[in-house]
Amino acid sequence: MTPTISVTDLSRRYRDQAALAGVSLTVEPGTVTGLVGRNGAGKTTLLRIITGLEFPTAGEVKVFGAAPAENDAVLRRMVFVREEQAYPDFRVGHAIRVASWFYPNWSTELAEQLLADFELPLSRRIRRLSRGMRSAVGIVIGLAARAELTLFDEPYAGLDAVARQLFYDRLLADFAEHPRTIVLSTHLIDEVADLLEHVVLLDHGRVALDAPAEEIRGTAMTVTGPAIAVDEFVAGGRVWHRQRIASRASVVVPGPLDAAAQARARALHLSLEPLSLQQLLVHASGSAVEEKVSA
Amino acid sequence: MPALDEGTPLFVQIAGQLADDIVDGQLAEGARVPSTNELAAFYRINPATAAKGINMLVDDGVLEKRRGIGMFVAAGAREHLLAMRRKLFAEQYVDPMVAEANRLGIDSDTLLSLVRGTSVSNGGKTQ
Amino acid sequence: MKTLVNVARYHLVDRITYVALPWAILTFSFLINLAIAAMAPQPPGGIYTGGLVTIYVFLLACGVSSMTRELPFGLMLGVSRRGYYLGTALLVLALGIAYGLALTALQALERASGGWGSSLHFFRVPWIMDGPWYQTWVTSFVLLVLFFLYGMWYGLVYRRWNVIGMVAFVVAQMLVALAVVAVVTLTHDWTAFGHFFTTVRAPALTGVLAALTIALGLGGFGTIRRAAI
Repeated sequence: MTPTISVTDLSRRYRDQAALAGVSLTVEPGTVTGLVGRNGAGKTTLLRIITGLEFPTAGEVKVFGAAPAENDAVLRRMVFVREEQAYPDFRVGHAIRVASWFYPNWSTELAEQLLADFELPLSRRIRRLSRGMRSAVGIVIGLAARAELTLFDEPYAGLDAVARQLFYDRLLADFAEHPRTIVLSTHLIDEVADLLEHVVLLDHGRVALDAPAEEIRGTAMTVTGPAIAVDEFVAGGRVWHRQRIASRASVVVPGPLDAAAQARARALHLSLEPLSLQQLLVHASGSAVEEKVSA
Repeated sequence: MPALDEGTPLFVQIAGQLADDIVDGQLAEGARVPSTNELAAFYRINPATAAKGINMLVDDGVLEKRRGIGMFVAAGAREHLLAMRRKLFAEQYVDPMVAEANRLGIDSDTLLSLVRGTSVSNGGKTQ
Repeated sequence: MKTLVNVARYHLVDRITYVALPWAILTFSFLINLAIAAMAPQPPGGIYTGGLVTIYVFLLACGVSSMTRELPFGLMLGVSRRGYYLGTALLVLALGIAYGLALTALQALERASGGWGSSLHFFRVPWIMDGPWYQTWVTSFVLLVLFFLYGMWYGLVYRRWNVIGMVAFVVAQMLVALAVVAVVTLTHDWTAFGHFFTTVRAPALTGVLAALTIALGLGGFGTIRRAAI
């Protein structure tokens, strides 16, 4: 099946700075992909190029099999919810109404439900809303559009944890009922870790990791216990990180650990704790060697 | 809501929780199992992951699919799971217990009487 | 086509900016001028005022707004820059026709009422908008579209080349104006220059303005194609 998004050797330079350098990836239809990385890693630039808002310096992007820039047929099938979207001097109701004209799959029902969920007043001017409420407007539009390709770029600025969870729940529920391709750029990885099928990690404009979420989970463990036992356990193996306090030590080792290793750890009275997705990606970002886990 | 941990693959955990329910008798044979979307919403995970967990149980013969209706607990599923778990019992529970007993200097006889005592207070039938 | 109409509708959601304000300001200007005409002593031939220019200036402001404030959300809605530009152009043409017609009607009223009973020439601009109704309609249409497009240009230049670009844009226009003045002065052609303006007829001037409008329209289209939003 044609990938929904196909990026080949994409580069974007500004003067002497490379925002993206040789990025290649694909996004398969009907999947939820997390685009993660530090601030300035190039996530926003990549999404802007995919949605035709910016033009690449080199390389190629194809969405639904065609270049997205200035391509009405492709653009119509996408919705891009940005961080800090600028609106004209509209009321909330205006913005929702206008959006409903443009999206073929628009669901008024879902929009109404979401407006109620986020407690958005229809008659309030958008510029008078708090930052979180303004983000909620973008989320309502992004979800109710039910566009075949839905892209979110850190859409939750100003939303508290409860509202964010509401967003994830509604996203998941509607995605389950009306499958589509979703790309979610975020630095709050652990909040969405369970929603993601695929993870792409960008570091300084390059792809540092591109793998199914399942493969990444459990690929590192924290081993904690008496320092002597810890040293014995990891003897000869790779260690990513080491910490000591008094006579106890804690190390991070690449995993997964097989049953034998786990039994050995238990015998040495060491506690094993898998690293969260967020912690794993922090390590992957920091490592000097690019680790590509095959997708 | 049952917590999902970070280490084991999610779909394995989903399958495990469903299996637990079957073994405990909360999901009887022939009962309908929650759909992929229901599981996804409940655990707040991707539907594809939930589907993978269910498919694993289908492949093991624990669940069966009835077209157009949904997923159901297969006949003999409970027995099948019990048999599988009995095989793993020694490795998962007995070995660690013996190791810990050795560490604490508890000999086999003391250990056995402890086991008996526990099973009496738990209402079990161990000889 | 449906998309273009939707873009036009999108702009019109802000009815205050596009409909209410231009006419409110024009009405205000008109009333002030009428009050003055009614109270002040009448010069022979009536009182002429340039108050009509307010509506054109306001359309210029609308043009700027359409390419600045309203652009980011417009592009979020799955519309290409070309679609957005053409949809906006469609709106401008529609407004030009409608508003031009309204101005023509007001001009007829003014003529019929003898300058609103005070010999006020507000809607009748000597020589370019003082003739037959169809000529007034066409001329006001062209001028309305021209001012709007000119405003769009400012908006686009700002979007693409920022403040520096804007300054360069203004400076460039001043330089062109200076160059024209220099050429005419150096060739001692001021009399010919003035002669040109007194002899060329209104329709010809309208034609020139229309050509300018089309040039601005095409140029704007080219500018927006590569603008990063």
